[in-house]
Amino acid sequence: MSKHDEGRRAFLVALGAGAAATTALVPDALAKSNHQHQADAPAMDHAGMAGMSARHGAFFNDEDSRTIAAFTERLMPGAPGKPGATDADVLNYIDLALAGPYADEQYFYRCGVAQLDAHCTQSYGKPFRNLTSAQQDETIAALEQGKAPAFVWPTAQAFFNTVHKHTMEGLFADPIYGGNKDFAGWRLVGFPGAQPEFTPEDMQSREAFTREPIIGLQVRAKSVKG
Amino acid sequence: MAIEKTDVVIVGVGAAGGILAAELGKAGMKVIGLERGPRLKTSDFEPHDELRYFQRQDLRPDPKRMPVTWRPNAKATAHPIPSQNNGNQAGGGTVHYGAVSWRFHEDDFRVRSQTIERYGADAIPEGSSIIDWPLSYAELEPYYERAEYELGVSGKAGNLKGKKVDGGNVFEASRQRDYPLPPLLNDQVGANFEPAARNLGLHPFPTPHAILSQRYKDRPGCTYCGFCQAFGCHVGAKSSILVTKLPEADATGNFKLITGAMCYRVNSDNSGKVTGVSYYGPDRSDNTIEADIVILAPFIYDNVRLLLLSKTEKFPDGLANSSGHVGRHIMAHIGARAFAAFDDRHVNVYMGPSAQKNSLDDYNADNFDHKDLGFIRGAQISAGPAGLEGGPLGTAMSMNPPPGVPRWGAAYRDFFAKYYTRHTALTGQTENLPYADQAIDLDPNVRDAWGLPAPRMTYDWRRPNEKARVEFIQKKMVEIGRAMGAAQVWTAPFGPGAPGAHHQGGTRMGSEPHESVVNKYSQSWDVPNLFIMGSSTHPTMSGFNPTLTIQALAYMTAEAIVNRYRKNPGALI
Repeated sequence: MSKHDEGRRAFLVALGAGAAATTALVPDALAKSNHQHQADAPAMDHAGMAGMSARHGAFFNDEDSRTIAAFTERLMPGAPGKPGATDADVLNYIDLALAGPYADEQYFYRCGVAQLDAHCTQSYGKPFRNLTSAQQDETIAALEQGKAPAFVWPTAQAFFNTVHKHTMEGLFADPIYGGNKDFAGWRLVGFPGAQPEFTPEDMQSREAFTREPIIGLQVRAKSVKG
Repeated sequence: MAIEKTDVVIVGVGAAGGILAAELGKAGMKVIGLERGPRLKTSDFEPHDELRYFQRQDLRPDPKRMPVTWRPNAKATAHPIPSQNNGNQAGGGTVHYGAVSWRFHEDDFRVRSQTIERYGADAIPEGSSIIDWPLSYAELEPYYERAEYELGVSGKAGNLKGKKVDGGNVFEASRQRDYPLPPLLNDQVGANFEPAARNLGLHPFPTPHAILSQRYKDRPGCTYCGFCQAFGCHVGAKSSILVTKLPEADATGNFKLITGAMCYRVNSDNSGKVTGVSYYGPDRSDNTIEADIVILAPFIYDNVRLLLLSKTEKFPDGLANSSGHVGRHIMAHIGARAFAAFDDRHVNVYMGPSAQKNSLDDYNADNFDHKDLGFIRGAQISAGPAGLEGGPLGTAMSMNPPPGVPRWGAAYRDFFAKYYTRHTALTGQTENLPYADQAIDLDPNVRDAWGLPAPRMTYDWRRPNEKARVEFIQKKMVEIGRAMGAAQVWTAPFGPGAPGAHHQGGTRMGSEPHESVVNKYSQSWDVPNLFIMGSSTHPTMSGFNPTLTIQALAYMTAEAIVNRYRKNPGALI
């Protein structure tokens, strides 16, 4: 098992050199130019935009990446001062995981996304990624409650539960795995990351911890201010 | 096929096996330990990585390669459980455990007698197969003390030579010596929990942990980093077998550890003795060790499985199973949970040793009157993170939101963003009784990566006695949450009957060979040179975590082998 794990780590680190694991080291100028590039993309609703702006490519095709980006954003939506799934690059986390440690769940996702689109086409005449946010929420609620007859395998609830779990992983796992971009998930909840120690004063305090910046496995943030 | 000869072979070098390796090695016996996982180092635990250790359970068996299946009853089909409690490396579960280290109560060793004496024979629930342990607390106490001092346990005595000590656990059995180390520092969980419990007339105290509160035996004290349960300790402050007994075993010069070794059979001859074990190496090689004494000390699944896989013409129902009790009387703790969320303060539950930070023993064992309650035995109540580990991923996976808040969307986001640092969980760890139909056998359909049949559990905790206990404990936890001044208190729903934590039983010890598998020295009644260690030997489980009792029993067995068995091999009783 450890051997497998070392391989996985090496794989992730290698990928991270060009993508996710070093997000906090991406200079502001580069981040801005990425945003500029996205602004030139064809206009679409917010969820579709989220899909375009999120990095992927290890597993998902463009259409499915938009679907998963939109789905995860509805599960944990962003708002001003409250980073969400898109801000955390949850899509990138899931994309890398399915290309690596979760490769045995690739077929689960393929079938799940196909069934999701079949369900949405039956209900709204469009695939999930092209629905309004309200329709997407309605769809996710139907999946959660098992009220989506287009689903056979995986079941609607199994698909919901898996994407939900992977969304939480992408938000809250260390950025080395490709999500939690710029510690978005940790900033949302006030978690200071991989601190090596807490002092008696820290533990006696009834205030939020701010003594040290957020620490990740590979990089240190400049500040905990979100 | 390689064949090696040795005095003693130990299968599984964890909580029990590591102690036996060191103690038998010190006595001059040649010991080979087989471990299916790797031997890791403290420096391996530097990454504070919740995904790797909590979520993906890097220190536990991979359920795809080493499945354990579960079904609620004998009519259902069994499926692999998603995660296992035990460890998968040298040091076993003590590497990743929360290090909660209890001595069992006096009445935990005599549940049947205590119940009948206090409430009458009718109070024993129908179908329950409780028997008394074949030894008393007093008999085990010197070995508890030895484990606490040799390994390093931090805590505060509550009953010193019969004198109650305020601030410790006043319900604990009398101890001759205080803990070797003072309790770990209190955090905001304790600062909220302890005064509230006291106001309710209860007796809270800091949970004893095998984690160093200060420097001890050349190991540093805890840094309170919080990456504790599910993680290896990055400074070696957790008193795991990996950093305590394995170095001692190495120093004897009599101990050899073989890692990557999957034991698949205990070999026996026609004289009724075991002759050694066979195992697959990491290269799939088929190897044999010949030994005068075989000690089985993996988790309960593999104790039962190995005995069943080792059947011969002489032992047609499995090795050491003339009683027919191998694989029966399985138990598991169920974690009843409540949550308390605050509007006016941070709790920062992610700081400090994470498992069961502060405890209450008022509703555990037979510490309270069960007359007219509809159940016997109790639960240890503790405060700490919902997932026994306080990071945001573990908490998101373990804390159900309160009624009215969905599991996803903006409302969930706002709930979690606000209360992640402003909540604590309360957990009731219930002493579920053994029932004879709660069992482990060999799964006819599922095999592991070596082609061996998976251990199959048949278990459903939802018995009338157990359900009544859980409801009672949940009400008490809600009262405590309210007394803490929480803005919201709510409870967690229960799963579908699946076994929770600390699986025990399967090779229980007893006073009578016809109703048990081993004697009080964990020695097989049938095969005197075979010892079967660990929580599989527990006839009842207590509301307390099992590890210190596993370790005390291992010290007792080691002493009996060195002082008695070696001079006169044969039945110790």
